Amino acid sequence: MCLYTLQEEALEMTRIAVTSMLPVRQAFLIAYMTGVLWLRRNPMSLVFTAISPFSLLFVLFVISGGGYVVPAVVGSLVMALVGYGLALGQDISFYKTEYKVQDVFVASPVSPLTYMMGLALSELLFGLPALIVLTSLVMLFGASVFSIPLLIATILLIWGSMSAMGFFLSSRMLHMRNATQVISFVNVILAILPPVFYSIDRVPDILRPLAYAMPTTHASLILQHIMGKGTPGEWSLGFGFAVLIAYLIGFVALAKTKAIWREN
Amino acid sequence: MLAIEAASITKIYKGARQAALSDVSLKVEAGRIFTLLGRNGAGKTTFVRVCATQLMPTSGSISVLGYDVAKQAKQIRDLISVVPQEGRPLRALTSWDHVYNWLQIRGEGKQIAKDKTEEILRKLELYEARDRPAMNLSGGMKQKILVAMAMATDAQLLFLDEPTIGLDPMSRRQVWSAINDWKSKGGSILLTTHYMDEAEMLSDYIVIIDRGAVIARGTIQELRRVIPQNIRVDIARDGLDVDALRPYGSVVDTGAGMLRVFTFESAVRELSELALRKNLTFTVSPVTLDDVFVYLAGRGIGDDQNSSD
Ligand SMILES: Nc1ncnc2c1ncn2[C@@H]1O[C@H](COP(=O)(O)OP(=O)(O)OP(=O)(O)O)[C@@H](O)[C@H]1O
Ligand SMILES: [Mg+2]
Repeated sequence: MCLYTLQEEALEMTRIAVTSMLPVRQAFLIAYMTGVLWLRRNPMSLVFTAISPFSLLFVLFVISGGGYVVPAVVGSLVMALVGYGLALGQDISFYKTEYKVQDVFVASPVSPLTYMMGLALSELLFGLPALIVLTSLVMLFGASVFSIPLLIATILLIWGSMSAMGFFLSSRMLHMRNATQVISFVNVILAILPPVFYSIDRVPDILRPLAYAMPTTHASLILQHIMGKGTPGEWSLGFGFAVLIAYLIGFVALAKTKAIWREN
Repeated sequence: MLAIEAASITKIYKGARQAALSDVSLKVEAGRIFTLLGRNGAGKTTFVRVCATQLMPTSGSISVLGYDVAKQAKQIRDLISVVPQEGRPLRALTSWDHVYNWLQIRGEGKQIAKDKTEEILRKLELYEARDRPAMNLSGGMKQKILVAMAMATDAQLLFLDEPTIGLDPMSRRQVWSAINDWKSKGGSILLTTHYMDEAEMLSDYIVIIDRGAVIARGTIQELRRVIPQNIRVDIARDGLDVDALRPYGSVVDTGAGMLRVFTFESAVRELSELALRKNLTFTVSPVTLDDVFVYLAGRGIGDDQNSSD
């Protein structure tokens, strides 16, 4: 009897372990299908996604005669990560309207967050070459080995929150074209206007609270800090991470509760 | 047990003036093939999507496999599988990639996923082309990939929204046979189609909807009885006086140079003699589902196809 319940319990535990692992496995399989398999058949697309984050870096590098390289590297890394989240939004609306992929996933044991994670991982895979080059540049231009965990944490936080935001936005867009327009607008709001490519010192005092309200400002400041550049006295690493974590939690909560999965 | 029980389902899309479904109530027995027929825009896809937890109804309640669609979607989603209307496979992926990975996503182990993938791909004649990316496959083969994905799963209830669209006659039969296999394993199916022969061949029960409302329901035999006469005689139109046919039953223009007379066995002999005298081709057959459909759904649309009697 006792043995029997023990066995039952063991079975139950395995069941829980298996079912709680399933979403992770599902996310990786989705990433495998939409990322790995796709790249295997279209390796050239990797070249295009790998090159695009370097366009602004290149311009800034040339204009400044090489002097502006740190902010340019930092800005490019942050903007690339924003871009992957937004590209996720674009992919999701494309899969939904053109392929009816979402219809198949909604009526299946895959949760919206798992679906989002899967596609976000696949975006990350597409971005990997650029990310490797950009993080190497961050290391090269001043970061110490000890700051690698900070660097990775920053990348994951921004990638996570931007992906959740992309998912949320795309689920609310009715049309593909609409999504593309909104996405380039959001890119400007998050990556161009705030002090991502330039120092926050240039932001007038009155606009600073606004700048500090942007997650990308903090990502940029953390990276500058890692690279040994001075950061404003009113800012600290803890503050930066607190804002990034808050955004991650907020956007994931938004994606979980407010993104449209089943239509109304 | 009931696979689906819908009570007074109404669906009004945001901004729409008319209801896509109004007050639809129906029951789908488990282990059966249930077919939804209706003209374009009748509300078939809307109903399927509501049942498959893809779309919220505006009012009414539906339980699917005993769970409430609005509140227990998660439980339902473990047990169902769908072929959406106008779905497409991902361009760069092969049929094998689609089915094999999809089964794993749904929780199957690798070996079982492999076996099941091979089985369904062979059944639907996709196995030979299993290594070719979907973008290099024909339209019908792409459609079959979606059918294969849904039918390889071990779901209890399958939603097939026009699954055989664009398939050649052989491929349609492969899908029919897969559908029958599914049923023989105890699975339930909600099917929509515009092919009346398909509906006639597969369905255990049929519901016809028109402009969002149920206008007829029953088995094929029951629906056939909707038309008072049980025989139809098609006669070539050439020089034939429609009025000469009226005494035998209701006359319909098939639109293909033939007149169709719905009548009884007793009149068949006279009608055939009439046709033979005038040297006109004619065919005699029992009333089909197609006739029933035109008879029912053709009404009130504004054309007076059925008012010539
Ligand atoms: N997303 C939507 N938004 C607004 N109206 C919609 C939407 N989808 C369908 N409709 C409307 O609802 C009605 C029913 O459409 P539905 O797609 O359910 O028809 P159907 O019977 O599946 O037709 P078909 O045979 O052409 O596939 C139509 O009038 C259609 O215009
Ligand atoms: Mg439809």
